[in-house]
Amino acid sequence: MTKLVIEGPAGYMPQSAPSMGVVLAPKGQALLYGNVATEEEAMRDAAVALLTKANPTIFPGPQILWDWRDDVAEKAAALLELASEIPNCKIIPMPDYRPKYPKIDVKAEINPNHPNLTILDNKIKACVFIGVHCHYANLTLRMIRAGTDCYTVALCAYMGHEEAMASINDLHADDIRKFKDIVIQERKRLGIDWVTTEPPRNPSLPKEDNSTLSPVDYGEYRSLIMTKKGEHVTDVE
Amino acid sequence: MSYERPKLVKTLVDINYMLKEAPRKQHFITGAQAMAEAVKRANVDMAIAYPITPQSEVMHLVGDIYHQGHIKEYYRAEEELGTMSAIAGASRAGVRLFTATSGPGLLRGLEAIVSWSGHRVPAVLGILTRVVNAPLSIQPDNIEMAYMMHCGAVMLHAENQQDVFDMTLAAFAIAEKVDVYIPVAVATEGFFVTHAKGYVQMTSDELALTAFDPVASPVPAMDNETPPARIQRDAPVQKSNFMSYLIHAVWQQEIWDSNKRAMKYVYEYLGGPIEVLNPESEVFVVASGCAAAQAREAHRASQELGLSVGLIKVRAIRPFPVDEICAAAKNAKALIVPEHNIIGWLAQEVKAAIPNGGIVVGGPRVYGGMTLPVELIMKEVHTALGLEFNLKL
Amino acid sequence: MSLKYVTPVAMFKKYLPKDYVELVDFGPFGKTQDEAGPGNMGQFKELMEEHPMCSGCWMAYYIRLIFASLPCPEETVTLGTAGCGRLAISQAAVPFIYGNYGDQNAMASGLSRAFRLRFPDKQKDVITIAGDGGTMDIGFSMTMHSWIRGERFTTIMLDNEVYGNTGGQESGMSPKGAVLKMAPGGKNFEKMPATALAKAAGCVYIVKMSPTNIKKAAKVIRRAIFVAREVGPTFIHAYTSCNIEYSIPTEEVFADARAQEKDRFQFEEYMTDAAKEVIDRIEAEEKAAHRAKKGIVAEEVN
Repeated sequence: MTKLVIEGPAGYMPQSAPSMGVVLAPKGQALLYGNVATEEEAMRDAAVALLTKANPTIFPGPQILWDWRDDVAEKAAALLELASEIPNCKIIPMPDYRPKYPKIDVKAEINPNHPNLTILDNKIKACVFIGVHCHYANLTLRMIRAGTDCYTVALCAYMGHEEAMASINDLHADDIRKFKDIVIQERKRLGIDWVTTEPPRNPSLPKEDNSTLSPVDYGEYRSLIMTKKGEHVTDVE
Repeated sequence: MSYERPKLVKTLVDINYMLKEAPRKQHFITGAQAMAEAVKRANVDMAIAYPITPQSEVMHLVGDIYHQGHIKEYYRAEEELGTMSAIAGASRAGVRLFTATSGPGLLRGLEAIVSWSGHRVPAVLGILTRVVNAPLSIQPDNIEMAYMMHCGAVMLHAENQQDVFDMTLAAFAIAEKVDVYIPVAVATEGFFVTHAKGYVQMTSDELALTAFDPVASPVPAMDNETPPARIQRDAPVQKSNFMSYLIHAVWQQEIWDSNKRAMKYVYEYLGGPIEVLNPESEVFVVASGCAAAQAREAHRASQELGLSVGLIKVRAIRPFPVDEICAAAKNAKALIVPEHNIIGWLAQEVKAAIPNGGIVVGGPRVYGGMTLPVELIMKEVHTALGLEFNLKL
Repeated sequence: MSLKYVTPVAMFKKYLPKDYVELVDFGPFGKTQDEAGPGNMGQFKELMEEHPMCSGCWMAYYIRLIFASLPCPEETVTLGTAGCGRLAISQAAVPFIYGNYGDQNAMASGLSRAFRLRFPDKQKDVITIAGDGGTMDIGFSMTMHSWIRGERFTTIMLDNEVYGNTGGQESGMSPKGAVLKMAPGGKNFEKMPATALAKAAGCVYIVKMSPTNIKKAAKVIRRAIFVAREVGPTFIHAYTSCNIEYSIPTEEVFADARAQEKDRFQFEEYMTDAAKEVIDRIEAEEKAAHRAKKGIVAEEVN
C-alpha cells in the first residue's frame, strides 16, 4: 500500500492530508500512513517508531492534564504506564493553546501555534499526542509534518487525525494499555533491554532537594511532623 | 412578565432515527413553516432573531416556538451584525443555536458569519434569499449565496418545503460532528419557497434531537468547565514578533478540510450532494434550490417529448460535489444551468468542476424577483439538442 | 465544581511547566481577595504577567488590576476586540474571547444568556474589556443595545482617547482639539459623553474614573461585577492613557493619571437603588467574613 502521509519535512506550505485524499478511519479501525488499517497494525508500527527513533516523547494535552472529568485519572495512569515502558521517553505537556509570550520554553512544553520549535530543539523523531482537542491536534500535526522529520502518533478519543502517521480513534484507557502491551512485545522482539521507569519530571520545575526541607514545606501537613506544645517524642522509626 | 413558558417533555432521538425511521405525517405548509418546524424538533437551546423580508416569517415562527417552550432562549437583536456576533458568543458557551436572515441582512452580518468557521461555531443559519440592494427590492434572487461560498461554511440549497425541513434538521447534526464543527447554512428562495405552501412529510413534534454535547467538540467550550483555563480558542496569532504565520495557514486548511469531511454526512443524512434523473442522457439540466424545481419540470416535459434530457439537482453547494458532477456528466454533450441570479455562480462552479467546461450553458438566468418559466429551460434544452423551439411567454 | 478544570491530574503535576504549577499552587483560583487580591499583588501568582504592551503603559497596569480584582476568576470569561488591550488580556489565565471588530457586547449578550440557560444554578461572570474605539465607535450600536436590553454583564472601557493599536488615530473619545492622525487640524467635536449615554441606556451601575487608587479601582470593578450578576448592565469608564500617542514620558504616566482625575476623569459613581442594595449587602457580608476571619486568627495567636 502506498504511504500517503509520511514523516516530513513536507515543506514551506504543506498540503493538508484531507486535501491529499486521506479520509478518517471508520470506528473500530485506525489510520496508518493515511491508509485505513487495523488498530493493532497501527499500534505496532507506532510502537516500533517509538522504540527505534531518537528521543521518543509523549505530548499530553489539556484534556488529560487537567482533572476535569471522572475518567481522566484512569487515562492518565494508563498513559504514564505506557510512557514508562518506552526507553528514555519524555513527557512534554501542551497545557493550553494560547500562543506563548514572549518565548516558549521548548524543554518544558509544546504549543499548537509553533509545535515545530519543541520538536526541533529536542531532536524528537517520534512522538505521541493525546488529550489535545482535535482542531489544535490537526494544526499541530500538520505543522510538525511541514517542518520536521518526526513520526507522529495520534491517540484520539473521537474520530482520529489524518495528519498523523499512526492515528488511533475512539480511545479509552483500555486502548492505551493495549498499546503499552504492544510496545512491550515489540521491545522484546527487538531485543531492547529496559527496566520500567517513569519519565523525568518537567525540567522547568525546581530541582527536588530534600536536604533543605523545612517544616514549612509540608504545608498543611506540618502538624504531623511538628511536636505539639509540651509533647515529647521518644519513639523514632 | 407573568407568563411562564411550559416545560415540554419530549422523546429524544438521534438524527438517523429522526430523518430515516420516525413515522411522518403529511402537512401542507410554507417553506418558512417547514424551517420553523425543523427547528422545533432540533432541540435548539437558543435562537436570535432580527427582521428582514422575506426571512422574518421564519424567526416569527421560531419566536412562537420559543413561547411554547420548544426553545430555551430567544431574543430580537439590534441588527444582523449584532445577531451573528451574539450567535458566535453564545456558541462559546456550548449550546445549540439557530438564526436566519436574507439578502442585505446576510451581507450586514457577513463580517461575523465569515468568522464563524474559523471560530468553530457549529450554528445553523437559514438563508431565505432576496435581492441585494440597490435598487431596493425585497424579491427573490440568490446572488447573496455567492458571497457565502468562500467562508468555509457548509451550504445546502433546498428545492422545496420538504427539503427545507429535512435539510434544516440534518444541518444541526452535520454542524456538530467533531470532525466538521463549522456552521451549516440552509438556503432556499425567498417567497417562492418561504411563502408558498407545499406538502411536507413531518415527524411528530414530540420527538426532538438529542441535546447538544458541549464536550464532544474539536475546540474546548469556554465555559469554565472545560480545560484549558488559559485558553485562546481564537488566538490573535498574527502578532509577528512571537508568532508563526504558518498557524493561520494551517488553520484555514483545517476549516476547508472540515468542510470536506461534511460530505460523508451529506450522504448519510440527505442521500448525497446531488440527485440524478436519467443518468444516460445527452443533455442535463443542472440546478439547485428553486431552480431545481423548474428544472425538474423541464425534465418531465422533456420525457414527454422523448428527449434525452436528465436532471442533476445539486443539494450541497459547499462542499461542492465536484467528483459526483464529473461522474454524472461524464458522457453529457451539454449541461444547462438555470439560475436565480445574474452572475451564474452555479454555472461557474460546474464549469470549474468538470474537465470539459465548454459544454456548460450558463443559463437561463432570471433575477430581481423574476420567475423562472420552464419554457426558458426548454429553449436551451432544444438548442443543445440541435432542435428548434418556438419560445412563447 | 469548576476548580477541577484548573486542577492538574495528580500524577501529571510533576510534568507541567513551572508556570502552570505556580498558577495552581499560588494563583488566585478559589481564593479570597485577602489571600490573592489587589492588596497583595506581587505576592501571589497573578493571572496576567508577561504581556507585549509598551513600557509605561497605564492600560496594562489597569488590566492587571482588573484580573487581580475578579471576585471569582475561575468562573469568569472575558471578551474583547481589536486594540492594544487584547494583547494583554489574552495573556491572562482566564478564558478570553476575541471576535470581530467592536462586537464584544453582542457576543457577551449571547454568551451570558447561554451560560444562564446551561448553568441555571451557577454564577458565571462575563466581562467585556475593550478600548474607546471598540466600545464607543465601531461597537457603539452593539454596546448601547446590550445596555438597552438590560443584559447582565459588565462593560469596561479602557479609554486612552485614541486608536493606539492602529497608530494613533482620532477616536470619538479623543478630547476636542487633540491633533491626532485622521484629525490633522485637531479634533473638531467634543469627547463622547459615555457615562451619560450609559445612564440613558439603562446601565444600573456606572463609574468614570482615573484608576490611580488601587483599592478604590478594585472596589469599583468588584461592585460592577456583583451588580451585573443580579441587577443589570454595569459600566466602568476608566482612563488608561496612551503614553506613546500622547507623548507622555514613562515617569510621568502616573502624574498624568492624577492630573486627569481633576480634569476629564473626575470620579463619578452612579447606582440605582437596586444596585445599591446589592452592593450594601455584599460588602456587609464581606466585612463580616473578614472580621470573622480576623477573629479566628486572633484566637489562633492567643
